[in-house]
Amino acid sequence: MKTKKAMSHKDKTFLAMIIPVVVLFFAFNTLPLIKGAIYSFTNYRGYGSYDWVGFRNYIDLFTDIRVGNSYLFTFKYAIAGTILVNVLSLMLAIGLCSKIRCKSFLRGVYFVPNILGGLIVGYIFSFIFTYILPAAGEALNIGFLQNSILADERYAWIGVLIVGVWQAAAMNTIIYISGIQTVPADIYEAGMIDGANAWQTFRKLTLPMLMPFVSINLVLSTKNLLMVFDQIMSLTKGGPAQSTESISYLIYKNGMDGGQFGFQSANAVLFFVVIVTISIIQMKLTSRKEEQL
Amino acid sequence: MNAKKTTALVLAAIIPAALALSGCSDTKSGDVTVIELVQYKPEAVAAFEKIEQRFNETHDDVQLRIESPNEAMTILKTRFIREDYPDIVGIGGDINYSNFLDSDMFMDISDFEGISKVKPVYTEMENALHFLPVDGVYSLPYVANCAGILYNKDMFEEHGWTIPQTWSEFIELCEQIQTEGIQPLYFGYKDVWTCLSPWNSLAVALAPADTCSMVNSGETTFSKEYRETAEKMQTLLEYGEPNPYAYSYNDACTAFARGESAMFTIGSYAVPQIKSVNPDMNIDSFTFPANENESDNVLTSGIDLQFCVMSECENKEAAYEVLSFLCEEETVQIYLDDQNAIPCLEGDFTLPSMLDGMRSYIDSGRMSDFHDHHYPSEMSVDAMVQTFLMDKSENAVDTFLTRFDTEWVRYNRDLIKKVRDYEKGASE
Amino acid sequence: MKKKGVKGTNWVLTVILLICCLTVFFPLYMTVIIAFKQPSEMTNNVAGALAFPSSWSFSNFAEAMEVTDFWHSLGNSLLITVIAIAGAIILHSIGGYAIGRNMTKKKGYRWIYYYIVSGMFVPFAILMMPLVKQTAQLGIANRAGVILLYIVFYMPINIMLYTGYLKNIPLAMEEAAEIDGATTWVAFKKVIFPMMKPMHATVAVLTALGTWNDVMTPLVIMSGTGQTTLPLAQLNFQTQFGTNYNLAFASYLLALIPILIFYVVCQKQIIGGIANGAVKG
Repeated sequence: MKTKKAMSHKDKTFLAMIIPVVVLFFAFNTLPLIKGAIYSFTNYRGYGSYDWVGFRNYIDLFTDIRVGNSYLFTFKYAIAGTILVNVLSLMLAIGLCSKIRCKSFLRGVYFVPNILGGLIVGYIFSFIFTYILPAAGEALNIGFLQNSILADERYAWIGVLIVGVWQAAAMNTIIYISGIQTVPADIYEAGMIDGANAWQTFRKLTLPMLMPFVSINLVLSTKNLLMVFDQIMSLTKGGPAQSTESISYLIYKNGMDGGQFGFQSANAVLFFVVIVTISIIQMKLTSRKEEQL
Repeated sequence: MNAKKTTALVLAAIIPAALALSGCSDTKSGDVTVIELVQYKPEAVAAFEKIEQRFNETHDDVQLRIESPNEAMTILKTRFIREDYPDIVGIGGDINYSNFLDSDMFMDISDFEGISKVKPVYTEMENALHFLPVDGVYSLPYVANCAGILYNKDMFEEHGWTIPQTWSEFIELCEQIQTEGIQPLYFGYKDVWTCLSPWNSLAVALAPADTCSMVNSGETTFSKEYRETAEKMQTLLEYGEPNPYAYSYNDACTAFARGESAMFTIGSYAVPQIKSVNPDMNIDSFTFPANENESDNVLTSGIDLQFCVMSECENKEAAYEVLSFLCEEETVQIYLDDQNAIPCLEGDFTLPSMLDGMRSYIDSGRMSDFHDHHYPSEMSVDAMVQTFLMDKSENAVDTFLTRFDTEWVRYNRDLIKKVRDYEKGASE
Repeated sequence: MKKKGVKGTNWVLTVILLICCLTVFFPLYMTVIIAFKQPSEMTNNVAGALAFPSSWSFSNFAEAMEVTDFWHSLGNSLLITVIAIAGAIILHSIGGYAIGRNMTKKKGYRWIYYYIVSGMFVPFAILMMPLVKQTAQLGIANRAGVILLYIVFYMPINIMLYTGYLKNIPLAMEEAAEIDGATTWVAFKKVIFPMMKPMHATVAVLTALGTWNDVMTPLVIMSGTGQTTLPLAQLNFQTQFGTNYNLAFASYLLALIPILIFYVVCQKQIIGGIANGAVKG
C-alpha cells in the first residue's frame, strides 16, 4: 500500500460538502431506523412497557398469511404499475416537449392528478367505479362493467392500479421532461438531416441520452408503487375481502393504529431489505445499459 | 479554509434556522393551575368549547384547556412517546383504553365522589375492559352511544309497518317490505367497519357479554358462541342491496336519507350524516330483535366517552374540580343535546327523540357492550366479517369461525398467557 | 437555439393530448360541482351527481376558509414548503455535486451514494415513533422540525436526481473555470449551480409535491404546538361517522391553486435549460 497522500485542496472541499449531508441523513434517517429496528425484537405496542421476544416477530412474518398476501398484492401492483407508469409518462413527456400548442396549459393539466388530495381521489373514483361505470356497463350491455370492480376481490387491485398510475404518471413525467431538456436540439436536427424517422431518432439518439433518467424513474416509480398507501386508504382500505392490503398499509394500520408496533417493525425491516435489494439489482441493470449505449 | 467554511456555512444555514423557528410558546399563567384535557371526538368540538368556556367563567384558580384534535388517538400516542402528557384524557371504552390501562398510564380516582353517580351497567362495562382484575377506579364513564336499527319513521307510518320484537317478526317485516317493492335494508360494507354494526347488535343478544374474556381463559371458543351470529349476518344479506361491498358508509347514509331503503343497521352516530343529506327526515330507532324471545333481546350500548386522569397529572385536586364540573347535570346536558348521546351518569336528563324506540331498554339498563370493544384492532375483525360475507361457499361459516379462533389466539397470545398465568396464580 | 424548428406545430399531437386531458377534466369537473353544492344536493344517482349545483354560490368556499383558519394554515404551509424547498435545493445540489463528481473514481463516495439513496426505501411508519421522540428531545417538535425532516426525507430522491443530471454536464465546464483560478467551491457556485437550474426546478416541484399535501409528518411532529397546516386543518371535514364533502372539496380546490401556480412557474424554468447552450461550449 502506498502511504496516504495529503489530501488535495479539492478533495477537502468535496469532503466538506458531503459531511453535513451525511451527518443530517444519519441523524434523522439511519438513527431512527436503528431505533425502530430494535423494537422489532420486542412486543412493544407503541406505548407503555414491553418484553423482549427475540426473533419471534421475524419467524411470525413467514407464517402470517396476511403478510404473505400483502407481499403478493404489493408486488403484483408494483410490477404492473412500474411498466405502465414509465411507458405512459415517457410518451407524455415526449408529447409535451414536442412542437404543440397550449404547452403550458397541457403541462399544467397533466400535473393535476398528483396534487389532488386523497379524500377527493377516493370519493370521485369510488363514485366512478361504483355508479358511473356500472351504469355505463348496463346501458351498453358490457357485462364486466356492471359490477363495481372495487367490490370484486379478483379485480379490485386493477381499480387501485388505474388510480395509482393516473396519479403517479405526473411525477415521472416531470422527471422525463427535465431529462429531455438535456438532449441537445442539434442531435435531433442531425437525425433529421440523416433522414432518420422519428422512431429511429428516439431509439438511437434520444433514448441513450435519457438513460440516466430512465433509471432514476424506474427506481422512483418502483419505490413509490411498492410503498403504495394513499390510494389504498382512499379507495379500498384494504378490501374487499382483504385483497388489496399493501405492505405499507399493514405496517401503518397495525403498527400505528393497532398495537402491533414491534411485529410491524420487523415487517418494515424485512420490507426495507427487500426493496433495497430490488433497487440495487435495478440500478445495476440500467447502469450496464447506460454504458452499453 | 474553504473546506471548513463550506461545512460551517451549510450547517450554519440549516440548524439555527431550524432552532430559531422553534421559539417555544410555553406560557405559565401565574398561580392559576392549567388543566389540559384532550378528548378524542372532534365532532363534539362545539359542545366542548361551550363546556370549556363555562368552566373558565366560573373558576378563577383553575383554567381548563380542552383540545379536540382530529386523529386524536395518533396524537395521544405520539404525545405519550414525547412524554408530553395531558392531565385528563377523554377516550372511548374500547381496546385502546384496556391497553393504556394495562400500561399503567392512568391514575386511581376511586376517591373522586362523582364515581358514585355512574350507572351500574356502565361500571360493569368498564370493569369488563380490564384485562386483569385491578384495584381502584381508573375512569369516569361519561356518555354512551347505542346501535341497532334506524328506520324511516314516515315510511313506516305510511305503510303501516310495526316495529318487530323478535327475529322471525323482523324477517317477516323484511319480506313484507320487499313485496311492497321497497328495499328493507341498506349496507355500506365497502367500509369494513360498518360490517361490525349489525355484527355487534347480533352478538350482544346471541353470545355472552364476556365471550372474549371467556375465550382468553380457555372456557369457550368463538366457534361455539358466534355461530348463530354469523348465520344471521348471512341471512341479512338477502334484504339489502345486491353487492353491498361496492357501497360505502357514506353511500349508505345518502341512500337511506333518500328513502332508498326502509331501515339501516347502524348506530345513532350516523344520524347527523343522514340528516345533512335530508334535514327533514324523521328517523327513529329500535333494538335489534336478534332473538326469538323478546325478553332475551339486549340493546348494544357502550361507553363512547370516558374521562381518565393521567398518572403523570400533578394537580389531582384541580383535575377533580374539572371532573366534578363535567359531572354537573347542566354540563352533561350540553353534551347530550349536541351529540345525541346517552348519559352514563344518574340524573334527570332529556334524551334525543331518535332514541325513543330504544328508551325502554335504556331506562331498564338492558344493555350490553359492543363486542368489538374487546377485539384488538390489528386483528381486523371487520375485514374478516366482510371476507366471510363475500365467501359464497357452503362451509363459509365454518371457515370463518375456525379462522376467528386461530387468529384470536395469534393476535392475543401475550394477553392469553398473562390471563392464564394470573389465573394459575390466583388458584394456587 | 438556431432558427425555428424544421416543422411547424404538430396539430395531431396537440389534439391527442387535448383529448387525453378528459381523464383529468372529468374528475376535476366532479370536484368543482361538488364544491359548489350543498350537502342536501348530494345523491347516488348518476345524472343527479353530474348535474350543476342549484346555485353557483361561493358560500362553501367562504365557510371552508373559516373552518380551516385559511390564512393562518396557508401561511404555515407556505412557510414550511418554501424553506424546505430552499434547503433542499442548496443542500442536495451540493451533496449531489460532491457525490456525482467523485463516485466514479472513489469508492467512498459511491458508498455514500448508495447509503443515502437506499434511505428512500425506509417505510415512514418505522421511523415515526423514534423521530417523534428525537425531535422532542432536540426541542424541535414544531415547524422547524417538520422542515428539517422534509429536507432529510427528500434527500435520497434529490441527490439521485442531481447526480443523474450531472452526468450530462461535462467536466470541462468546471475545469475551464478552475484553469482561470477559481476554487472548486467557486466553480460550483458560479458555474455548476446555475447550470443545474432545470434540475433545481424539478427538485422544487417534487419536494413541494411531497410536502404540500403531507398530513402525517406535521400531525405527529407538530401536534400540541397550536400551529396547523392546510392538510391538517382539512382533517376537520372528516370524522369516522361523517364527512362534509362539499366543504372539503371547496377547501381542497383552494389549496390546489398555490401549488399549481408554482408548478407552472417552475415548468418555465425547466424548459430551455442548460444542455442546448452547454454542450456546444
